[in-house]
Amino acid sequence: MASLGAMGAGLGLAGCSRGGGGGTGGGGGGGEDGVGLTFTWWGNEVRNANTSEMIAAYVEANPGITIEEQPGEWASYWDRLATQTAGNTAPDVIQMDMAYISEYGQRGALLDLAEHGIDVSGFVEGTEASGDIEGKNYGVNAGINTPVIMVHADLLEELGIEMPDDTTWTWDDWLELATSISEASGGDVIGTSTFISNDSMLSGWLRQQGKELFVPGNEPGFTVDDIVTWLEYHQQFADAGAIPSPSQITEDSSVPLDQSMFVTGRTAMSMWWSNQLEAVEAAAGKEFAFLRFPSIAGDALQRKAWYKASMLWSVSARTAHPEESVALINWLINSTEANEIQLAERGIPANSEVASAIEPLLSDGQQRVLTFINDIVPELGETPIAPPPGGGQLSPLLLRYATDMLFGNIGAREAAEGFYDELTAALGA
Amino acid sequence: MSAISELSKLSTRRALSPEDRAARRKEASRDNKAGYLFLLPWLVGLFAFTLGPMLASLYLSMTDYNLIQTPSFIGLDNYARMLDDARLHQSLRVTFTYVVVGVPLQLAFALAIALLLDKGMRGLPIYRSIFYLPSMLGGSVAIALLWRQIFGTTGLVNQVLQLFGVPATTGYVSDPQYALWTLILLHVWTFGSPMVIFLAGLRQIPTMYYEAASLDGAGRLKKFLTITMPLLSPIVFFNLVLQIIGAFQSFTQAYVVSNGTGGPSDSTLFFTLYLYERGFTNFQMGYASAMAWVLLVIIAAFTAINFFAAKYWVFYDD
Repeated sequence: MASLGAMGAGLGLAGCSRGGGGGTGGGGGGGEDGVGLTFTWWGNEVRNANTSEMIAAYVEANPGITIEEQPGEWASYWDRLATQTAGNTAPDVIQMDMAYISEYGQRGALLDLAEHGIDVSGFVEGTEASGDIEGKNYGVNAGINTPVIMVHADLLEELGIEMPDDTTWTWDDWLELATSISEASGGDVIGTSTFISNDSMLSGWLRQQGKELFVPGNEPGFTVDDIVTWLEYHQQFADAGAIPSPSQITEDSSVPLDQSMFVTGRTAMSMWWSNQLEAVEAAAGKEFAFLRFPSIAGDALQRKAWYKASMLWSVSARTAHPEESVALINWLINSTEANEIQLAERGIPANSEVASAIEPLLSDGQQRVLTFINDIVPELGETPIAPPPGGGQLSPLLLRYATDMLFGNIGAREAAEGFYDELTAALGA
Repeated sequence: MSAISELSKLSTRRALSPEDRAARRKEASRDNKAGYLFLLPWLVGLFAFTLGPMLASLYLSMTDYNLIQTPSFIGLDNYARMLDDARLHQSLRVTFTYVVVGVPLQLAFALAIALLLDKGMRGLPIYRSIFYLPSMLGGSVAIALLWRQIFGTTGLVNQVLQLFGVPATTGYVSDPQYALWTLILLHVWTFGSPMVIFLAGLRQIPTMYYEAASLDGAGRLKKFLTITMPLLSPIVFFNLVLQIIGAFQSFTQAYVVSNGTGGPSDSTLFFTLYLYERGFTNFQMGYASAMAWVLLVIIAAFTAINFFAAKYWVFYDD
């Protein structure tokens, strides 16, 4: 009887325990004299390898520091970070995104880097304040990128379709081009992956009309009517067979990069960020052409492009080692050694000296990206502000309502109104 | 009330003196203390890992908590908001459909296979293990990923159909009409654990009842309806209660198959999935905690209904 009780107690305790979470807490560890940092990022295979190499180089040059790596995938990265922050085990150095920096920064989860010696003196103008919110620096630019439209140049040639002139093409030209690709290939190759819920394309289109995605004061910078027009424009793509079916769109939004419809050649065009060129070309095993996004006026100088901080480096507000964390970030953004390893995979380094130093080392694709980034300077508009808390929900919300419309369940106006209501609720929460 | 039945109720134990009675009580309480002592580790676990967090969750359900800052008390606002939350109602619809369709289907399938296996055959243990295997793997992420692949637009199912010349181009997991059915299918596929229990229950029915029924000229269906089902009813009841509770709590399959989004047009937005999205993606942990308590009440209600209805169809023969 007694032994059964003891066994039961043991089993009960085992049953009570939940599965262990990933990674240990921030700070701590590292031996007596040493400092242990935890470092988290999201990435792809190329980026993970680069980052590990950089960390190894840093640890070698700085004995006494150990760094625990916590790589992740975009989709689950934010859930994990939210849980870690709630449980007070947030990593010391965090790769942050513009979509979430307000969320974490304004709620006090991130360190004000300016107060801990961050060095952005060598940064290109306009990039040193990427992570500034209400006067505090919550994150520093880890790489510059800009939206590009990548195209299977070889497929277009095969189908006998001319590459558009990306300095003069319009949004309607994109529709026409995609339609002609679908028709010419008899449906084997669909014209374009959809950009219906793509916040960067929506932003570009709005900016060309003098509006913005978000304005100061935690509000959207557009109206329901704008979204109705946007959705009706995309309905034309669907009606012409120029985009994949809503089922395929749903599936495509959840697969990893190398299984996406564009990389596997089932669509001929897709919007990507310029720094993704390397990973996309590696996954597809071939070279891609890339274009500027269109303008309403048909003139690239009026398309109001912008440099986005592809990602930022932040530090947890509750870190036990603020100085060492900031030192690591300073090394990542300002040293040629670090950037010679990762080159331009996270984007073109914002530090202009470093960017010029690594230029000869860049791969062919990255050189083309660097040239592009420099070429579009006359086409830049004002840098958009960081999305407010809740603003990171814009893309998933729009995807849900847009696919509902494409499935035929609701009309464009209903979808636009539903989306707008839910977005304003998310911003106000 | 016959004299015999009255007499049989008389106690035949030796009368105890007061000292003897006190000694017996002391020994009993010492046994109890030892029991509690052995239970202590498990009780600590229960309070620390189950009851404690439940109470914390009850408190959080009445707060506005965004995971990053400290919670602020707002009373029953979260519960009030649920009345207007259209996506919550959708998630309830989806979850109820899943439970009401999936659980009976799964149990019927489990019973059917158990009846087949009950006949006894060579290699029975092997068959039993094979049928049991899916229920062990079914709740895992790996199987759910596989399911998403198999029922995708270019997945195995479509490839096989195309081999037979069927123009199969729908992605079942990404089509609002079929997505929930793929999950129901996954649930039915994990019929192994109720099946094993049914098999044990069938084995316990004395064969003499079947023999007696055969002598009276009963056919297979009659035997099934009048002997098997009533004698199996406690097992059916057990499986029903447990499976309903489990089905309401389903999360992994829905999360992985829909990649955390709740599926095309929210067609696989399970209650638990919506709860997770609210808590971790939208930073509204207070609302998510309130949803968790609502789920608890729903499951408790279903279980209570089950127990109440059991009086009418569950037959205990002892």
